[in-house]
Amino acid sequence: MFAFDGGYDPGEASQTILFELRRTVVRHPAVQHASSEPPGQFIRVVATLDPAALGSDADEGTLTIRWYAGETADAEPEFAVHYSDSTEFDCGWHHEPNPHVEGWAHYQERSTADDDYEYEAVEFGSLQPVPLIWAILNRLEARLTDR
Amino acid sequence: MTDASGVERWKEHQSAFDRVRSVAVTVSEPKSADRIAEQAHVAGNTARDHLQRLVEMNVLQTISGETATLYAPDPLYTRMQALRDLLDSRDRDDLLELRGALQEQVEDWQSEYNSDFPGDLREQAAHADTAEETREMRQTANDWEIIAYRLRLVEDAIEHYSDYAGSTPAPA
Repeated sequence: MFAFDGGYDPGEASQTILFELRRTVVRHPAVQHASSEPPGQFIRVVATLDPAALGSDADEGTLTIRWYAGETADAEPEFAVHYSDSTEFDCGWHHEPNPHVEGWAHYQERSTADDDYEYEAVEFGSLQPVPLIWAILNRLEARLTDR
Repeated sequence: MTDASGVERWKEHQSAFDRVRSVAVTVSEPKSADRIAEQAHVAGNTARDHLQRLVEMNVLQTISGETATLYAPDPLYTRMQALRDLLDSRDRDDLLELRGALQEQVEDWQSEYNSDFPGDLREQAAHADTAEETREMRQTANDWEIIAYRLRLVEDAIEHYSDYAGSTPAPA
């Protein structure tokens, strides 16, 4: 992403990606609504889901997306795509420095807010934000259907 | 493979043009038509046609690469789109209020972490006592970078409010 003066601006790059993610995610059949949060700040996208469309019997579900494009144009992005629902279950696919697995890419989940997270290293085929979000929504559906 | 069915679902719900656009405007560095085609799951010629249209619409600009034309988001379009989103639901007073809130957020981080810039905080994060503190500080530095950009955008919108808002009626 290229800033107004031609240089790389991580804030602008991140925000442009969040903007596109908000735009694409509402096209998914399980997503009812997506907004930028906190209002006016736009540091994450929060989507309201229909958990039944993802194979869950929870009444309400939310997907929260954080995305930071990286300090330099060739740096890897830091992101988290995290699901939580009214049964207290939450899980997410993250790509960020962490002490739990080797490397940045991991999946974490817990059954209730009182439990500790369980972590697992994962691989992402591509770090391109838009196709990645569709791949993650599919992994989420597979996980929720499995429960 | 669940990722492959994710792609199928994406193709079902977003047109080839939309897929090419969304990939091309989110690249971190200029990319060739073939590379964008691969990421957007469209044929090379389809990508080239759509990319050409996006260049004509000033959404993208071209850069001559060593072996192929490269495509990158047009910075003017990126800025315009962000301003439009900001101005769609806010009048001048809302923007002034938002500027105040964003400034306050930055000042809170500056005093909490005794850092002037997100880069300072990132530096501190590397030397934090626990992995959890490092994670939190890095995440705040990332958020800060976005808020700093947001602040510049809001200042631009305030400064040129009458030009940008045009005759758009004030939101109810």
